[in-house]
Amino acid sequence: MAIREMDDMVQSGLDRAVEMMTLAAKTSFKFGSRNTIKVISITGSEIEQLAEYCFSLGDMAPLAARDGRFAADLVKEPSAVLLIGDKRQSLFNYNCGACGYRTCAELNKAEMVESLTSNGPSCVFRNINLHMAADAAAAMAWRLGLHCRVFSTLAFAAKALEVMPGVDMIVSIAVSAAKTDPFFDRHKFWTQEVWDQTFKKEFPTFTRGFIGAVEDEDW
Amino acid sequence: MSVERTLKEFEEDRKEAARVAARMLLASAVTSPRVGGVGECTVHIIDDECDIEDLCQVVEEMSSENKAWEFFLRDAAMLRDADAVLVVTSLRSLTDPSDINCNLCGKLTCEYLRKEEKLPMEPGIAYTGPLCTFRAMNISYAVDGIVSLARNLGIDYGVFWSAGAAAMRMGILPRATGFALAVAISVTEKSPFRDIPVKYSEINERTMNDRIIRRLWPQFRSIYS
Repeated sequence: MAIREMDDMVQSGLDRAVEMMTLAAKTSFKFGSRNTIKVISITGSEIEQLAEYCFSLGDMAPLAARDGRFAADLVKEPSAVLLIGDKRQSLFNYNCGACGYRTCAELNKAEMVESLTSNGPSCVFRNINLHMAADAAAAMAWRLGLHCRVFSTLAFAAKALEVMPGVDMIVSIAVSAAKTDPFFDRHKFWTQEVWDQTFKKEFPTFTRGFIGAVEDEDW
Repeated sequence: MSVERTLKEFEEDRKEAARVAARMLLASAVTSPRVGGVGECTVHIIDDECDIEDLCQVVEEMSSENKAWEFFLRDAAMLRDADAVLVVTSLRSLTDPSDINCNLCGKLTCEYLRKEEKLPMEPGIAYTGPLCTFRAMNISYAVDGIVSLARNLGIDYGVFWSAGAAAMRMGILPRATGFALAVAISVTEKSPFRDIPVKYSEINERTMNDRIIRRLWPQFRSIYS
């Protein structure tokens, strides 16, 4: 009888789970039966690369910086990020108007506007298909008992760094098999001082008795 | 349907199961992942037969407005078989861009999107875009939350954008709704939303009943009475 260590089993379980999530994403409901999504998964150093890029944005994009710092921590325990991407043009001929063009043909003819985060203008229904795949993957992760969160920041970083060539928009689903849920707890990144400062700046009226009074000189 | 009491009870319980399931699916939709998280989406349940019929009428009317919408007739025929319809709305995509400059809409920044002129609300236009795509795609999580749980519960489902657009037209959704999709559910032995014949809007269970059984019955009765 062979003995397998826990770490080994967790890692191979995680690998298998990521495959199951990919399966769920691929077979999720899609409008118009147009299934054109691409899926890749990244781990370790590739996640660190995205994290570094996000963190480097700093004050320009505080949310991205925060998620970058978070992702750098994420890779310390067994984790993976699923990237799901798709092209932007409409394949549906729904002529629904949501993208701002009257017909799908007009949208498809419109000049592509490239940017680091995603290329537009994109078909709303294609986005819906993409994100329904993301939700199916997240639902699978949930059922398999993994910690999971959907990140647009890491996905935008993946687009900027061209981790996934040939797609116009990306969404990312991060999963972790850490001892405790690493997602939804970002308080560890805040010192009390920074928290107090930020809170005072963002919500100045919270502690002020009379809103018209000027209590702070540099306010 | 037979006049047997137990069969009538079965019919009532079947409908009740759909009503209960609709509320469970609403819970799944509301708690699914969301960007931003607050005040983004609402879910509305239409489980009254007459209300579903009203919705189907509008879907049918819309089918003639745009050449690409001819399949709305088929959608309406399928929706008539639904026991309940859940309409998922996006409340912020029309008026409140997400301010993250993601460029999914192709306008580079949210400021440019705000300045962009919207399509007019006129026949042939379902959604008055350009919408904030980042906000609008938020409802895909809610829709897939419904689909995901419906699969687990063993409830048949069909996803229709026609019914979402029709519900917006009818003014039965919150005023700020910029984008809406609908999921119809059914508790029947054969899913009415898949595997359907061609020309379904013309040839379906209702028209078959109407044109064959109900036509035949008066003649049969007058001949054999």
